[in-house]
Amino acid sequence: MTVGVREAPAPPAPDAVAARWLRADRGRSIIVGVGVPVAAVVAALLLGAVLIAVEGENPVAVYVEVLRGVVVAHDGPRNTMIAATPLALMGIGLGVAYRARVFTIGAEGQYLIGAVAAVAVVTAGGLRDLPGIVLVPLGLVVAAVAGALWSAVSSFLNARFGTSIVISSLLLTYVASAFVQWAIRVGIKEPGAFIPQSRLVEHAELPEVPVLRTHLGFVLAVAVVPLVWVLLARTRAGFRIDVMGNNGSALDANEAPAARITLLVLVLAGALAGLAGFVQVAGVTGRINGEFSSGYGFTAIIVALLGRLHPLGVLVAALALSALTIGFDVAERAYDLPSALVGVLQALIVMFVVAGDALASRRTAT
Amino acid sequence: VVDVVLASSAFDVVVSFSTLSAGMRLALPVALAALGAVVSERAGVLNLGLEGLMLSGALGGYVVADVTGSPWIGLACGLAVGGACGALLALFVVTLRANQIVTGLAFTLLAASATSYVYQKAYAIGSIPPRIERISMTPLVIITLGVLVVVLVTLRSTLAGLVISAVGETPVAADALGFRVERTRFLATIAGSALAGLGGAVLVCGPLGLFIQNVTAGRGWVALALVVFARWRPLPCVAGALLFGVCDAAQLRLQGTSTGVPYEVFLAAPYVVTLAAMVLRARDNRTPAALGVPYDRSTA
Repeated sequence: MTVGVREAPAPPAPDAVAARWLRADRGRSIIVGVGVPVAAVVAALLLGAVLIAVEGENPVAVYVEVLRGVVVAHDGPRNTMIAATPLALMGIGLGVAYRARVFTIGAEGQYLIGAVAAVAVVTAGGLRDLPGIVLVPLGLVVAAVAGALWSAVSSFLNARFGTSIVISSLLLTYVASAFVQWAIRVGIKEPGAFIPQSRLVEHAELPEVPVLRTHLGFVLAVAVVPLVWVLLARTRAGFRIDVMGNNGSALDANEAPAARITLLVLVLAGALAGLAGFVQVAGVTGRINGEFSSGYGFTAIIVALLGRLHPLGVLVAALALSALTIGFDVAERAYDLPSALVGVLQALIVMFVVAGDALASRRTAT
Repeated sequence: VVDVVLASSAFDVVVSFSTLSAGMRLALPVALAALGAVVSERAGVLNLGLEGLMLSGALGGYVVADVTGSPWIGLACGLAVGGACGALLALFVVTLRANQIVTGLAFTLLAASATSYVYQKAYAIGSIPPRIERISMTPLVIITLGVLVVVLVTLRSTLAGLVISAVGETPVAADALGFRVERTRFLATIAGSALAGLGGAVLVCGPLGLFIQNVTAGRGWVALALVVFARWRPLPCVAGALLFGVCDAAQLRLQGTSTGVPYEVFLAAPYVVTLAAMVLRARDNRTPAALGVPYDRSTA
């Protein structure tokens, strides 16, 4: 190595976890790549039908109602797209990181930090009266930068001290969550409010997109798909990400320090998670309060995996999971079903995908 | 203004007797779960399902304690539910060699929804869930210390403990010596998961005496962080759990008062301390070498 960069210590064990799994991912045919998730959805829906039957309802009628809630109902498609937006943004970023075998699970923290930083700026005295055409881009940039910086901490600790990225990104999520609680109680609190909450973003609210009737964030998430796709398939950085994911030592031979690619993918994942945070405040909730942290950052991990770490796949997976959520919301009103049922179905889908992949790679390995 | 007191009084709150005893109460479930994680991680299985296991154990313990009227049977049931879920996890990550991070996350998601589902089925929404009889602190402390001693002695001075460590460090060598890697990991995962389930049951059958949805509120993740902080050793795990408990109790008490120190500092403290510990001890890495890596004899 001729470059004066401190060489990163060997990656600690937890990050090496998916070595086998991702390597299996490469040689896998499209049948397994698409077939396993589809089969998992079908299997989970069948098991769900059993649960619905146990509830004493007609599974077919319930599923028809779910479908009606997503497709036909007045706000079904719109709500699905809005619910999918933060999941898709975060999932796409995580997908890129996982391709390089950099296992961050800290999207939730970056989402929170991005949201708080952006809200702090767009509701600051002197700025909050500016028009939306200024405030919305400002908020998006601040959120992306804040999320990226928060995520970069993991990269720095890994390069300098060899700290596991899995663990440091998780710990930072809790620090972020404590920081948000302080921020809405003291730092950016709405003056005079009795409960901890930030000011409303007001002018920084995301505009509605005409035909889709969603907020601008969904268009942003869709626009990110081709950008990341091109990054991965057509640029040197994308090539190096894939090389790093498949064979880290080949990178060294190429004199491309792994630490720099780790930083790149973590910054990208953090920026997208930060964006997701601001999009959610400025598009949906209007302000940050005690209920803002929703676990989206963890669901996004699942979305990234269901989407096979491919930006388009991630978008489809985010829409599919959100459609289930929205559809069951409608079906629960018509039928007597526990609200936790849809969560069980979604978790079952993931478990089935994990099992299906493991079985598929066992068969191809031998 | 009168209600703004100095940071020194925040310090008084932290070291007061009642905070320390509340801290111990909050520490016990986390300590048990962390000990469970030590067992499975020393064998090389990274169990990210810990949060879900605690939650499952908590619900199992609560329902059984409610039905039988005995919180002790509830505790035993928490242990059993944890072990059963551990067998499911082990089937995925040991036998099927599925990705451990993904499996653990997926299991935690499944447990969060499934416990809510069962709870919603068992107790009608809107009705007040019954309080169960509670076990006092002293026996729970004794149980935790007992588990600590068993884990400590097993890992340090028995053949089983040495095999567990060997399987987590160099499974190839252990395999060559004739020890069965997959069986050891399977059993270690079940044992560790059972302890996490017990931790969850201690939470609801102990001073709380109640189950609510997501009752564990992230304690399983704390336990996972503690294992890193304790560098995979049982005794520092329990000490770390106590530190976490005291911080948690301090922030709960400070929430009601307004002092110079924001209570959120105590919310963040355990995680910052763990990060600092990882950084300070980076040179002396004790991570089990094969942690998270499935063992496949044909490619090893």
